[in-house]
Amino acid sequence: MTGDAVWYEAAQIVGITNALNVAADTLGVLGAVDEAGAPVEARALFADIRDFYQTDDVPLGFRFIAHDPGYAADVWAATRHAFADHRLPRRFKEALAFAVSMTTRSASGTALHLSQMRRFGVSPRGVVEIVGVTQMFSSYTKIADTLQLEPDMGDIAPVDTTPAPGGPMR
Amino acid sequence: MPTVRLRDAVEYPAAAQKLFELSRSWFNHDFSEPPAMSRVMAWDGEFGAPHGRAMKRAMTPGEFTRGEKEMVAAAVSGVNACEY
Repeated sequence: MTGDAVWYEAAQIVGITNALNVAADTLGVLGAVDEAGAPVEARALFADIRDFYQTDDVPLGFRFIAHDPGYAADVWAATRHAFADHRLPRRFKEALAFAVSMTTRSASGTALHLSQMRRFGVSPRGVVEIVGVTQMFSSYTKIADTLQLEPDMGDIAPVDTTPAPGGPMR
Repeated sequence: MPTVRLRDAVEYPAAAQKLFELSRSWFNHDFSEPPAMSRVMAWDGEFGAPHGRAMKRAMTPGEFTRGEKEMVAAAVSGVNACEY
């Protein structure tokens, strides 16, 4: 996991997963878009989402935000890009999203990404590996916060001196 | 500033020195002092030892690599807004 590029990818997963979970777990009061009566762009969006996740159901977060199909399409484009195979594979990205969802107590996100992990071949033992890491670092972080420990391991990782994508070398 | 005074490694008993050696080996880094968290966990070996073993089990490569697990750990720490 050396080089900054993989960490940028991971950060995208953490951010967009949290964004989707925030909507999915809180917007029930708004009501989901009724697909049968939805505008054509919303239906096309839902079809693309189903294809990506290979599920019958569109994840709740998208069904809530699709009241504005243009906004939902942009969120989906960012989501789809973030979860696609780049330097990090989709299988691992789903595991990362599962850990984020667990940590934020998002039942819907945990269920979605657990199902996706399984779809990409992660076994029950592999799932428990991610549960273990999530649980142990949920412990360490709270111990560190309670004692207000200051970071002291920041210089272990080497600095990546490569430029931003497409940029010139320094 | 920490809410407790973090003891230097020399202030710990011999049993804790073994934990510090394991910590050095785990991170593959020669710290001038063991990381703060290692010193915290060494304060009470009856908690720190099993907690450390559970962490090591969780972080050992399996279906996911150690690097992938470190990334998951970083994400969990970030989501928990833990600066340490």
